Amino acid sequence: MTQPAAAPQYPGISALIHKSVPKVPFTSTSTTTDADIQVAAEHLLELVQGLNQRRELAFDMLSNITGIDMGEDTLAVKYNFYSFKHNHRVQLTVTVPWANRHVPSLTSLYGAADWHEREAAEMVGLVFDGHPNPKALLLDDDVRIHPLLKSHPLQTVEILQGIEEGVPGFKF
Amino acid sequence: MFLFSDPVFGVWNWVDAIIRILIVVLTMTFVVIYLTYGERKVVARFQQRLGPTKTGRAGLLQGFADTIKLASKEDIRPTNADRWVFEFAPYLTFIPVLMVLVSLPFAKNWGVRDLSLGLFYVFAILGLNIVGILMAGLGSGNKYALLGGVRAAAQMISYEIPLVLSLLSVAMIAGTLNLNGIASLQSFTPENGQYAPFIFLQPLAFVIFFTAMLSELHRAPFDIPVAESEIVGGYFVEYSGMRWSMFQLTEYASMWAFSVFGSIVFLGGWAVPDTSDWWGPDWGWQLGITFIKSVVWIVAIMWVRTTVPRLRIDQLMSFCWKILLPMALLQLLMNGFILEYDWPPILLTLTSGAGAGALVAIIITRAIRRPKSKLVGTYKQVGVAAR
Amino acid sequence: MTVWPEERVTTIDSFNTVDMTINVGPQHPATHGVFRMVLTVDGEVVVDCEPYIGYLHRGLEKLTENHDYRQSMGWWDRTDYLAGLCCEGAYCMAVEKLAGLEVPERAEYIRVMLMELSRINSHFMFLGAFGADVGSFGTSFIYAWRERERIYDFFEEVSGDRMFPTYFRPGGLMSDLPGNYESRIRSLLGSINQGLEDLDGLLTGNEIFVERCKGLSPLSTERAINLGITGPILRATGLPWDLRKAEPYSVYDRLEFDIPIGESGDIFDRYFVRLSEIYQSTKIIEQCLEQMPKGLVLNPDLPKTLRIDNAECYLRTEGTKGEYSVYGMARGGVKPYRMKLRSPSFCNLSALKEMVVGNYLADAIIILGSLDIVLGEVDK
Repeated sequence: MTQPAAAPQYPGISALIHKSVPKVPFTSTSTTTDADIQVAAEHLLELVQGLNQRRELAFDMLSNITGIDMGEDTLAVKYNFYSFKHNHRVQLTVTVPWANRHVPSLTSLYGAADWHEREAAEMVGLVFDGHPNPKALLLDDDVRIHPLLKSHPLQTVEILQGIEEGVPGFKF
Repeated sequence: MFLFSDPVFGVWNWVDAIIRILIVVLTMTFVVIYLTYGERKVVARFQQRLGPTKTGRAGLLQGFADTIKLASKEDIRPTNADRWVFEFAPYLTFIPVLMVLVSLPFAKNWGVRDLSLGLFYVFAILGLNIVGILMAGLGSGNKYALLGGVRAAAQMISYEIPLVLSLLSVAMIAGTLNLNGIASLQSFTPENGQYAPFIFLQPLAFVIFFTAMLSELHRAPFDIPVAESEIVGGYFVEYSGMRWSMFQLTEYASMWAFSVFGSIVFLGGWAVPDTSDWWGPDWGWQLGITFIKSVVWIVAIMWVRTTVPRLRIDQLMSFCWKILLPMALLQLLMNGFILEYDWPPILLTLTSGAGAGALVAIIITRAIRRPKSKLVGTYKQVGVAAR
Repeated sequence: MTVWPEERVTTIDSFNTVDMTINVGPQHPATHGVFRMVLTVDGEVVVDCEPYIGYLHRGLEKLTENHDYRQSMGWWDRTDYLAGLCCEGAYCMAVEKLAGLEVPERAEYIRVMLMELSRINSHFMFLGAFGADVGSFGTSFIYAWRERERIYDFFEEVSGDRMFPTYFRPGGLMSDLPGNYESRIRSLLGSINQGLEDLDGLLTGNEIFVERCKGLSPLSTERAINLGITGPILRATGLPWDLRKAEPYSVYDRLEFDIPIGESGDIFDRYFVRLSEIYQSTKIIEQCLEQMPKGLVLNPDLPKTLRIDNAECYLRTEGTKGEYSVYGMARGGVKPYRMKLRSPSFCNLSALKEMVVGNYLADAIIILGSLDIVLGEVDK
């Protein structure tokens, strides 16, 4: 006989978010420093709109976006939000499979998201839908690699610049 | 010495002129070499450094070392430069400065030529400088150079006017355009009953002249055409080797020319305000006095350079048209009254001094907006409205 | 002759002007490193700005993922290379957070003291370089470098290196301070105050400097927050927000200091906030000297090799340019799984376009200067 799944417990800021944005389903854990909220990519924009606009949350600053290769063909995106009004913070996690690595862009809500998203896009190969200027930021335009993927080796870097596709590049 | 007598007519006139020009050019080269050294030393002292110390005793040969280095460097012409315009621009920039030197009396009745319209000649010729600068800016095929050239032209056009007006007010009082005459008016010769240098008679004209001169020379705070931190050198950004050193030569030669010219017009040049004439006939003394006055002038220029930041182009223009030009016109007007109604010269000193004081006050009160106290706060005091 | 690219043609009374594209950098005296921006100018007015970064990208995060926790220390020094110890501090605190390590109290005080010295160092660099940007022919530069030299001398005495001390360790410090540190720091503070007065007189007392900076490119607090701007630039907009006060880390909660703020967020406020912060940092250092406890400087229970199981942290510190945060993730083993640097210069620089457009070309240079970017931090 299976027990019915216990209703998720939301401590602290997660409870507040659950109360303020009740329509968005998410699960909540905590890291050593933050409450961590796992949300699906399709609900991200809705949740972030709530975080940004609800008066009691007022997360007016997007502090950081981190793209992570979690192994097993999944990517994770971590968003760190901060509220100047209430001096509280939260971390959102969106996990997407490599095959469908599309995440909605937050540039419409946060100007700060622009470069962070461009960086995450080129470092781990995420695709941010709706980004106004999805160009490479730190790497050269010709470099068609995502260096922070775990599959990418540290010590051998192929220079793909000016070399046709499929031809092995110089190694150094 | 024949050089100090009036030139004779005929073939000797030419020989005399050529010899005098050679003397001036050689002196100029020497002066420029030591001006670069001097500037580096003076600026270094202002900045608590030592400056060049290694080449020769106390770095005295540094200028020669730099000259040799520059002369032996490759002369590069960018591929998209306009060849003839690019290559002739440095010379066209340099020639007007040389032509100015022709008319300057370094000692009593001694210059290359003593022109009766000397003052007029000087500011007519100095305006030609801009042709070479614009050619360099346009011909280099570089956008920094283009910006620098255009900036230089705009600045030149604006600042020429207060410069000329301030010189005109001196000429009005002096009653002559001959530089020798202007200088001797400020000396022991009691011809017109005036012994004081014009800087004491018309401080406002002096301040305007000094400011406009800094602009003409592209020195700080008006070094907008060559702004190192913005357009990396401006019109001469693409030049190298000898052609670059022509620009450098122009810069320092015109600084020297301007300081000699300014000290003749406002400080009395080779003359001192003294009625005794024990030193008068001695051209050595006169050269020494010109030298000392121009050195004071040059050090003042360097002092300004090390201390003040650069103006923006629109601030530069509004300063010229809204402040300098009306002030120069006021000075001119006052001179007219003095001459027309024979008012005593002390009145000129007072009004002009008041004008110079007002000018300085305008500059200071317009700009000093220093916070009264240091603003501090703690985070808990202020909340940000949530959007 | 060159043909300028025709990008935008303005017609005023049948007079055509063509916009000009100017490339500034990566080698340009005003870019403070290898930053590049392409400015489109209409005469002297900037109508568009496209920043390009990445010329100094060294793969900091990839290297950190592939090295032992303590091996990566040297890389993190080289992010904000004007204040290496602040970066080290943030990295070490992140690792300590992940591993649950305690740091002895004396080490905390020494860390705070050296981090504040680094902050002074970085702000001096700003003052000098900003004066040069505005065009004061290097005099401000030399004045600032005189004091920085003394600070670097002290760092060399402490750790053996000047710019990249690598002096902190996860769990404490490499070694204790030299015996005469107290008198050394006190004389250092004296000369810093003197040098600051000199710089204050040279720049703040100068009419042209004030005229250039006052009222230029003002920024509202709301917009600054939305753009992710932190640090002195945010404080210049009038918000007294400093992570040392808002989320006190290390021993900052035991130290008294004020947060200098500006009024309108213009260039002058940014400059003046940094100037005032140096005074506050000297106050902090003096308090550290007074409160300094005796004891160990390295956690004695530190394992020979750090192995951290599943842990995650987002550690925020107040770097010299703003919020210098480290996102860390450990999934077992001797290496971090992911270390992401949220560098303040990177975020502040992303707002450059908005600040520059509509201003004069000469102002674009000093706006860039007022952001006080460090390319090591922007490009990672």
